[in-house]
Amino acid sequence: MNKIAKLFVTFISAITLALVSFTSSFAKVEGEYIVLGSAISLTGKYSSNGVHTQNGYNMAVDRINKMGGVEVQGKKYKFEIIYYDDESNPKRAAQLAERLIKQDGVHYMLGPYSSGLTKAIAPVTEKYKIPMVEANGASRSLFTKGYKYLFAVLSPANQYLEVAIDLAVEKNGGKGVKIAQAFEQDAFSQDVRLGILDAAKRTGSEIIIDDKLPKELNDMAATLAKVKAVKPDVLVVSGHTKGALTAIRQISEMKVDVPMLAMTHCDAAKLSKQHGKKSEFALCASQWHKNLSYKDKFFGSGKKYAKDFQKEFGYDPPYQSAESSAALLVFKDAFERANSFDRDAVRDALVDTEMQTFYGNIKFGPGGQNVAKPMILFQVRCKGDDCENRVVAPTKWASDKFYHPIPKWSERS
Amino acid sequence: MEKVKQKDLILYSGLIILGLAAPYLFSAFKVQLTYLCVLIVLAMTWNLQGGEMGYNTFGNILFYGLGMYLTASVQVGMFFPLAEWTESGGEKTFVHTTAQYFQGIGVGLLVSAIVPAIIAGAIGYAILGLRGHYFAICTLGLGIAAGEIAGGIEIIGAGQGFTTPPFPAEIVDAEARGKFFYFLSFALLVGTFVFVKYIYGSRFRLILNAIRDNEDKAEAMGIQTMKYKIVGWMCSAFFCGLAGGIMGGLIGYIDSTDVAFDGREMGVFMVLMAILGGKGTLWGPVIGATLFHFFKEGLWTLILGWQYVALGVLIVVIVVYFPEGVMGWLREKYPERFGEVIDEKDRKAQVELK
Repeated sequence: MNKIAKLFVTFISAITLALVSFTSSFAKVEGEYIVLGSAISLTGKYSSNGVHTQNGYNMAVDRINKMGGVEVQGKKYKFEIIYYDDESNPKRAAQLAERLIKQDGVHYMLGPYSSGLTKAIAPVTEKYKIPMVEANGASRSLFTKGYKYLFAVLSPANQYLEVAIDLAVEKNGGKGVKIAQAFEQDAFSQDVRLGILDAAKRTGSEIIIDDKLPKELNDMAATLAKVKAVKPDVLVVSGHTKGALTAIRQISEMKVDVPMLAMTHCDAAKLSKQHGKKSEFALCASQWHKNLSYKDKFFGSGKKYAKDFQKEFGYDPPYQSAESSAALLVFKDAFERANSFDRDAVRDALVDTEMQTFYGNIKFGPGGQNVAKPMILFQVRCKGDDCENRVVAPTKWASDKFYHPIPKWSERS
Repeated sequence: MEKVKQKDLILYSGLIILGLAAPYLFSAFKVQLTYLCVLIVLAMTWNLQGGEMGYNTFGNILFYGLGMYLTASVQVGMFFPLAEWTESGGEKTFVHTTAQYFQGIGVGLLVSAIVPAIIAGAIGYAILGLRGHYFAICTLGLGIAAGEIAGGIEIIGAGQGFTTPPFPAEIVDAEARGKFFYFLSFALLVGTFVFVKYIYGSRFRLILNAIRDNEDKAEAMGIQTMKYKIVGWMCSAFFCGLAGGIMGGLIGYIDSTDVAFDGREMGVFMVLMAILGGKGTLWGPVIGATLFHFFKEGLWTLILGWQYVALGVLIVVIVVYFPEGVMGWLREKYPERFGEVIDEKDRKAQVELK
């Protein structure tokens, strides 16, 4: 046994040596680079949205660097991002945030994808007083914890589909409607649900189905069978990209007739491309749409952004990419106004942010959420086999009228 | 004999000094070191079942997750209404004072050790009659079921997850939290090791081995196998629960299926680590967990997006080339160092016979 012990000691000392020689860390600002850190879901259940987020970040980094970078105290700096894969797992994300801050010496963070992962990272960034601008954590509970270093460029999750309920009530002549809803068991979707509960209470609507769906959902036939039986006025479904795809696939397979279908994540799921006409009339909540009239000097308008994005990555940008790009614009603006790399100066500058980007106006409320930007709703509409997302609410940007009710499957070609 | 003991003493005191000094030597790696301690604990406790008793369980993740939820719930519930804490839309913020935080986590950890042990006893009574694959499959279901159930219980946050109390803000030192959790997990590791080492020198281990090697014969010899199987599992659950409780506080956010009842990751890792190091040995799980953790932390970020493929390859390599793990491999290579006496003549004679 003692020989084994010797072996073990040798092993331990080898590791010790390796670790000691490895404890070098980057500086927050290295040469001409400002180093940002981000844990992103490149694998696992959020991988498609993780990649949308990463593409959005990269697009903005390239653009800002190309257009002169960030000017602090008369010197030009460029952005650089260190990425790790959090595997769509909150535990891993928290660990990686720690690693980015402690080992890689990152002093400014960009958010991960999804509310759950942001919830896991926020305590870490808060502990080390690292400003984090995040673009993909919308859960309301993120903004009620009193975090001081968390800034979100997006509207909170409970606002996603409230408008849809208002719209349904309006179409019903101001009377309450019957709502069927099914939500994935995760932080974001459950928050969307709370928004609906509030809206239902406010409008006197009745919730007749309230289902919870498993994570990574691939099947919601049980809920749809109930919907077929009780005939609600509105069906609300939210479960990230997979939820949107599963809902449309099974609604069309089971020929479920419902006058109004409200969802989230339609554009991230590329519904109109993947399911074409089957997805027609679906109503979707979105943080952003390319037809909105916001502008900035880096990306121009939303349409210009969409075109450039399409050229670079080969698909239409979902709002997840747009809001991620906007996060970089916010950081650039804050660095320049702070005119310093001091974390607290940057944090104070972030608090005072008030700007317009191609993605929308950005101004942070006391909890860190963006209070200057409304949510929009679009509806999938088709001409022949060519389907597109058309903005229907709010009326200021509506390019089309809201089509209601959805025709029965028997009447659809 | 005396000499060996002295060497052991040097080894153990060396390791403890290293363990105590580690967070100061490698300050930046505190969180990874904490994970390492917890992983070793999980591998060692799994080894009690899978290695010594021969009951391959995937269910230990149940105790780990339970410990996590229990510690956090007690820590919050002792001072504030738990339902309001976890209510996602809640506008209220509750802040633990320093004293409340540490009292809470202390009591929480106590509960998270005892309750899982009791539950292990109850479940064990029901399912430890199953043997072999049947037991493995049955325990596989335990973790999954627990994850789904926890995802539906509103008072612990359901699908929203449970944010554990933040480290008291009155302690200004940003390193304090890391040190606290490191030393907590290190203490757990030392405690677990001492306990397992004690078991290794006891009759209890021989009984567990007898159950592994031939349960029917063990029974025929008058051993009440069921009793020992349950006690064995309860011991595992005790330490798994503690490990979970510490991890919950460290991560700061509990999600039902991804953090607490994370059978797909932690549940598989603990088995893998024990097998990698060599199951049925004292040091095997320690070495396995250490190797695995270094492999994971060192290589995974280099192969972004492919890490699970690499993990799959690692599993295949372990099973094909090191079915007995690192310790088994060493033992085969240097049997004399394990105190096995080999009769050269006899060995040669055997070779010739073949």
